[in-house]
Order: sequence, then structure tokens, then C-alpha cells
Amino acid sequence: MSYCVNCGVELDATAAACPLCNTKVYNPNQPVATEVPTPYPTVKGAVEPVKAKEFTILMTIILLTTAVVCVLLNVFTIQIGRWSLYVVGICAMLWVFFIPLFFPEKTSIYTNLALNGLSIALFLALVSWLHPNNNWYEHIALPIVILGTLLLEIIFIFVFMLKSSMIVKAAVSMAAIAVICVATEMVIDLHLRGYFYLRWSAIVLTCCVVIDIILMTIYLQEGLRAEIRRRMHF
Amino acid sequence: MTLCRFPTFQVAIRKGLFWRYLEPNHRPGPYVQPDIGNPCMPMHFKANNRYLIRIYYYEKRISLEVFHSLSDGTGALYFLKTMTAVYLRLLGHEIPNGEGVLDITETPKPEELEDAYLRYASSKIGRPRSQGNAYRVRGTKEPFYTLNIICGVIPVDKIRVVSKGYGVTITEYLNAVLLYALLQKQKSERPFHERPVTLAMPVNLRSFFPSETLRNFISMVYPSIDPRMGDYTFEEILQHVHNYMRYYINPKFLNADIVTNASVQQNPFIRIVPLFLKDFTVRRFYTHVQDGQSSAGLTNVGLIKLPKEMGPFVERFDVLMGQPFSARTNCAIVSYQNILTVNFTSSIKETDIERYFFRKLVQDGIPVKIETNRKMEE
Ligand SMILES: [Zn+2]
Repeated sequence: MSYCVNCGVELDATAAACPLCNTKVYNPNQPVATEVPTPYPTVKGAVEPVKAKEFTILMTIILLTTAVVCVLLNVFTIQIGRWSLYVVGICAMLWVFFIPLFFPEKTSIYTNLALNGLSIALFLALVSWLHPNNNWYEHIALPIVILGTLLLEIIFIFVFMLKSSMIVKAAVSMAAIAVICVATEMVIDLHLRGYFYLRWSAIVLTCCVVIDIILMTIYLQEGLRAEIRRRMHF
Repeated sequence: MTLCRFPTFQVAIRKGLFWRYLEPNHRPGPYVQPDIGNPCMPMHFKANNRYLIRIYYYEKRISLEVFHSLSDGTGALYFLKTMTAVYLRLLGHEIPNGEGVLDITETPKPEELEDAYLRYASSKIGRPRSQGNAYRVRGTKEPFYTLNIICGVIPVDKIRVVSKGYGVTITEYLNAVLLYALLQKQKSERPFHERPVTLAMPVNLRSFFPSETLRNFISMVYPSIDPRMGDYTFEEILQHVHNYMRYYINPKFLNADIVTNASVQQNPFIRIVPLFLKDFTVRRFYTHVQDGQSSAGLTNVGLIKLPKEMGPFVERFDVLMGQPFSARTNCAIVSYQNILTVNFTSSIKETDIERYFFRKLVQDGIPVKIETNRKMEE
């Protein structure tokens, strides 16, 4: 039998290192046993998947019937325009929004965001196809939807993937707010007047820049951070 | 075969509008499966033919997993003993009933099925639930479904001599060692604010209120050390735990706890809240309040006795606590003949608490053998 030189506990014959302190076992008289079974199985188990997803089926049926009923109504009774297409579009969009609830294990938050952005863009495309009106879709809606999706993805990467501190997360979110505001004003201006001049978004931008500068100073100055933590009683 | 004798285990869980309820399950199964490296996986109520127990085998070991609302340690132990006896009989050995092995031919007694909480809830006041926030262990979370086990095998006679030397029982001694380990861990983290270190320990109510129920019948006590009052030596911790147990573990205090628990179930307002809201609040309660009030769980199932005919076939018992909601370590202790096992289960990578705990035992001159299911990194 081998003992851990660090902790003084006896180890199993199959252990190559101490489970408590990870010190390697080195015993010239007794090499690590590989023939005898380990004290615990090495096979990993997985939970049996649950088959019938009542919620998925229920939501799909509700959305599908709403869409079909509206189309039928549109075709046979209330024949004013093509209004049922809006309902169909909304139903499709809602279904895409619900995907993470339908398949919680399979989807990642990033693909979900991309899908949501795509479905909004498609829905707006449908609206603009029904109301062809001075190119608002290409000039305003599409750029903002694409930019918004991208910024949200970036924020989520900072929040979930990178183990960044609260300060960095807040700074990134502030920066994203500034960018989206400036971009919104820019595309609207370009669309309506043909030139671009910063007005209300300039205020937002200034606020965000000031807050970001403060946050980054706090983040970079170790002493300052400790001081604030002490004063604020974190 | 065994299962028919234990109707409380032969159940499925169903969702009602206001409560989840258990109903008898007559589907085939549950079947015995080869054991796995990550036991105590979450149970889907609809998987496994809707059974809420799992039975595994590995080499010469039989494992039984029981969903926590079916039974506590005592009830599950009756089941495991009876099942093992039935298995040995099938192999052709003569095993009598008794010592926890139930007669599988008799019909279950009504006392075994009762909700003993309601029978004994006689105290006029309950005790407050809140204990204040305790120190919480932080660590690197392992992927979901991982349950890290570190098991210490200890000779009972050695540990008894040591705890006698301190003038306390084995449970009190191990309690104090775990508190000591947690205090050391908190100290090593150099926190801005130290917090009290609290254990959540279930008490078997059957020894205070006679009941033969095979369902849950436990209450919780929370032995605690507050390092803000100053540095405790190990002897002071021992003394404190010893007095705490003497003070709190008596029929009157425990009855008040029962009343607190039962009042939640009986409250007409809570009865009519729809289930999905309840699920939500209970989950929040567990992750934020319950887990926040204690630093670790500790349970001592005690000394297990078997009919002496089974003695040659049984080497030892292990008890594992299931996966905790947060990054904490739970500890379960059981002894049989001269072997006492301490099983730490956690879902974090760090092993500091376990290391402090077993090193203290070794320092006190108790030999410990360690086994694990962890894969050690190079
Ligand atoms: Zn070691």
C-alpha cells in the first residue's frame, strides 16, 4: 500500500496521485496497479432523454392553428388586403423566439441570438414587401437589426464566455448602448435628410464615454478598486 | 420482488395544478443497471419508467439511489438491506429477517406509510427558519452531471478512542473537524468580511418520536462557529458543538421544527398557489436561502446492524449525498462493524475542504484510506 507523502493518508492501489493534494505517488516497491478494478466505475452515465415535450407540441399547435385560421379568414371572409400575412409572420417569429425553451440542451445562446435577429429581419422584410415605401427597410430597419444582433452577441460573449469582472461587463454594455444610439440617429438622418449630423445621440455618447472612462480607470487602478470596495462595504 | 413490500418506493411523481403528488407505479422495472462514474444524476420524472429510484451494481457493490422526497436515510436503508438479503437468498444462502431486513411476504404495516410529521406536530409555536447567511464555499464548477466523490475509510475503534479522549461522541468529533476544515478554508481565502461557518445536519426524528415510517422523518440542526468572535481552537470548536447538540437535540426543540415545516404544507394560502409559481419560489429558496444559510451538509447515518448471517457477505456501507445546487461540499458518514466511511460529494474541482478535513484526522492519529472517482489532472 502507498501513502501520500504530503497528507499522510493511505491511497488506493490504483491511484496515481493523491486525490486530496494531487501529489504524485512514487513508490519503488509498489507500482500503481492497473490490473485490479478501480474503486469506482469509469463509465459515465447520461440521463435518459425525456421524449414527449408537451410544451413544444402545445406551442407549435397554438401558433400553427392561429396562422392557418387567419389565412383562411383572410381568403374566405375578411378579404381586405393581405393582413393575414402579418399574423403568419408574427407566429413564425414567436416560434423562433421560443426555440431555447423547446430544446434547452441543444441550442447555444449565440445561435439563438443570431436566429432571433434573422427572424426579426425576415418579418420586417415581409412588412416592407407588403408596404413598399421609400426604401425604409434597406436604409433603416436592416442596418439596425444587424448591428443590434452583433452588439448583443458581443455583450453575451463578455458576460458568459470570458470571465471578465463586473466592471468590464458594464463598460462593454455602455459602449454598446452608445454605438446603437449613434447608429440609429445616423441611419435615420441619412434616410430623411441625406446628410448626417449628431444631435440627441451625442448626449448619450458623451455620457457613455464619461462612464466608460471612469469604469476603466477604476478597473486599471488596483489601489482605487480596493479603496472603493472598502468605502462601499462590498 | 422486494419492491412490493415497499409501496412508498413504488411510486411515480405527477404534476397536479397545485401540488406534485406521488401515485403508485405499476410499470415494469426499475431494472438493475451497471454502475456509472457519476452517480446521483438528476432524475427526470418521466424517465426510467417513471420510477424514482435507481439500482446499480459494480464489481461487488450494490448501489441504490432514492429521490429525496420518497424517503430519508433510515427508510432507504431498510430497502437496501431487504434487497440485499433477497439477493443473497437467491444465491442460495439462508438469511433470516430482522435487524432491518423486512419480511417480503407480509403486507406493509400502515405505520410504515404514515406521514409522521403530522402526527407529532403538537408544539404551539414553530421556530424561525432563518439562520442568517453563512460562509459559502466558492470553487470551479464541474460540468453538469459530474459528482466528485472522495471517500475516507476509517477504522471505528481508532476514531472512537480519539473522540473519547476529547470527551465527545464520534458525530460531534467529525462535526467539529468539518467546521475546523471550513474555518481554515475561509481563512485561506482572506475575505473582506468573515462569515459564520454553519453545517446543515439532519437529525433522525425516529429516535425521539416513535414511528415506524419508511418515509421522510428528519429535521435539520445547524451547528455553527462565528470566526468574527475570534479565532477558535479545535478544542473550543469541539466544546461548542458538544454543547450545541446537548442544547438543541431534544424532543421539545425538534417538535417546534416539525411545526415550522408542517405549517408550510398546511397553510391554506400556500396550498392554492399554482404549481409553476411554487416551483419557481422553491428553487429560489433553495439556491439563495437554504444553501446560503449553511456552508456544508453533514449527515451521520450511524452504525448499521445486519443479521449476523449476512455478515460474511457485506464488507462495508457507503452513503452519498446527492448533487447540491451550489458549489458546496456535502459529507455523509456511516459505519458498519469496524469500518466507518466518510464520503464527500461535490460538484467543484477544488478539494481543499476534504484535504483540511482528512489531514486533521491524520494529525489526531487516525489512519485514513482515501478512494475517489475523480480523474486527477497531471
Ligand atoms: Zn496528499
